[in-house]
Amino acid sequence: MAAEKMKLDVWKGDWGLPSVDPHCLAVLAYCKYSGVPVEVNKTGNPWSSPTGNFPVLRHRGETYCKITDIFNYLRKEHWGSDFELSTKQSADVVAFSALLEEKLLPALLHLWWMDDKTFIDVTRPWYSRAIPFPLSLFLPGRTQKKAELRVNLTKGGENISEMETETKVYKEAKECLNLLSYKLGEKQYMFGRLPSSLDALVFGYLAPLLKAPLPNNQLHNHLLQCENLCRMVNDVLVTFFPADLREMEEKQKKEEQQRARTSSSENSEFPNRRRNMVLAGFFALSAMAVYAWTSGLIQIQISDLDPAPSPAPSTTRKAQAVKGEEN
Amino acid sequence: MALVVDALQATVGASEPWPDDVLLYQQYKVEQITLPDCAQCLAVEAFLRMCGLRFNVKCKTNAEEMSPSGKVPFIQAGQYLVSEFDPVVFFVGTKGFSLSRQMSDSERSEMRAYMSMLENILGNAELYMAWLNPEIANEVTKPRYGCSYPWPLNWLLAWRKQRAVKARLTANDWASKSVEEVSEEVHTCCLALSEKLDKKKYFFGDNPTELDALVYGHLYTLLTTKLPGGPFTSVIREFHNLGDFCKRVDSAYFSD
Repeated sequence: MAAEKMKLDVWKGDWGLPSVDPHCLAVLAYCKYSGVPVEVNKTGNPWSSPTGNFPVLRHRGETYCKITDIFNYLRKEHWGSDFELSTKQSADVVAFSALLEEKLLPALLHLWWMDDKTFIDVTRPWYSRAIPFPLSLFLPGRTQKKAELRVNLTKGGENISEMETETKVYKEAKECLNLLSYKLGEKQYMFGRLPSSLDALVFGYLAPLLKAPLPNNQLHNHLLQCENLCRMVNDVLVTFFPADLREMEEKQKKEEQQRARTSSSENSEFPNRRRNMVLAGFFALSAMAVYAWTSGLIQIQISDLDPAPSPAPSTTRKAQAVKGEEN
Repeated sequence: MALVVDALQATVGASEPWPDDVLLYQQYKVEQITLPDCAQCLAVEAFLRMCGLRFNVKCKTNAEEMSPSGKVPFIQAGQYLVSEFDPVVFFVGTKGFSLSRQMSDSERSEMRAYMSMLENILGNAELYMAWLNPEIANEVTKPRYGCSYPWPLNWLLAWRKQRAVKARLTANDWASKSVEEVSEEVHTCCLALSEKLDKKKYFFGDNPTELDALVYGHLYTLLTTKLPGGPFTSVIREFHNLGDFCKRVDSAYFSD
């Protein structure tokens, strides 16, 4: 069975997350939960992906791009802890997954791709940095258009304005967060002690919302109030993705160190400050002297024979004459 | 507009009692209404009946154009127009009627999750079947949709509606699915519903909830509508408790 390893391509991570994309995160979490021997390739180049997006799972010559297909395939290969659930709980998994797709996904699409502030401050810079040059020109735009279509066509309508759609989408998403919070309660995972595919999905949707540097967003603030959801996301990150957390901590430490070094001594920013000042002063002086000489303000006469009329008085006289003319 | 109405009702509507002359607008059932709209109308009607509220059904050929959100059904209660299932439930709630008052928080969250599942899976599957399946769309849905208009319009409006549905299903990745995949989704959805219902009278015990109204609306419509091919009927018939459930609701609330 394990003759050929599964290969999983995902968007690369940031902000202490193994990936920034909700669906990639969900697949990664599901693989970690069930210990799938998978080779993860974190990348920003969707050239090889058939849909131009991630996640992509490749195994035995087959390619799976949609998250439902990936989960179904992994289940078919008997990976995952969904087998431990009772039939009733499996029904709940189907229902709550639909709830997430119907109520939370439109708000997240709106937040990342249609909210002007977030799109300009976070989403677009991130993707244009992650994706290599020619693709970075049109892929973010294409994804944005897709997200817009999805939100407007499924949530809006002919007679509904964009503002109303936005209000509706965020209202539904907040309600969805409350429902998830009730469902989770004080349990470790949605169905007790074992994580299921539903937990993977919830983690995928909520982790970027919690960790990304969002400028004062209503959905982010609402999530912070659902303490048990935040706790679950943080637990999953600490338990299953400690490497990414460490990476972020190291990055932060490095940045802080750099900042500390620069603020402690101003010289570090300009190491040879005095020498440069002397050089600049010398350069300025010589430039002025050359100008004065070329424009005839200073005349230098070199005569070996007669030193009597020294050049200095002549200069001053001449300079005074020029000044007088100006006045 | 529905949302503006939402906000208004929270403050104004609560003080007024349920008016006597509430009208539920929808299209003509026998010759005009399409499959997805029929499911929605039946769900709202079942909900109002389960609440025990007075209302009259009024059939209009242009009900879709009259609705504030462009979707049927909608109710007219006093000066308010409220369309679609969720806003109607909310509106009725502000008048002091609710089917889910006795439920705990976690039960209510489960109920909302199953309702989203119905909307997400059965709602999209109905749209897919009615408008994207070429045989059903050309033979049944489009002639029915355009039946109240004269010649060039009946064709044009039906074509425009079909294009809108196609755009919507393309946006949420349903248009690319095959009939088998859609049937598989419907099967998953029915399996989940069947497990949830089990041997109980209603989904959450002995009293009906909003979920029961929605399930009845969708399943009854799918079971009783005769379509060429009719692939979902056989899928739903596999689950006997769901069929029995539809009969039970039918005899309890639609016996008149």
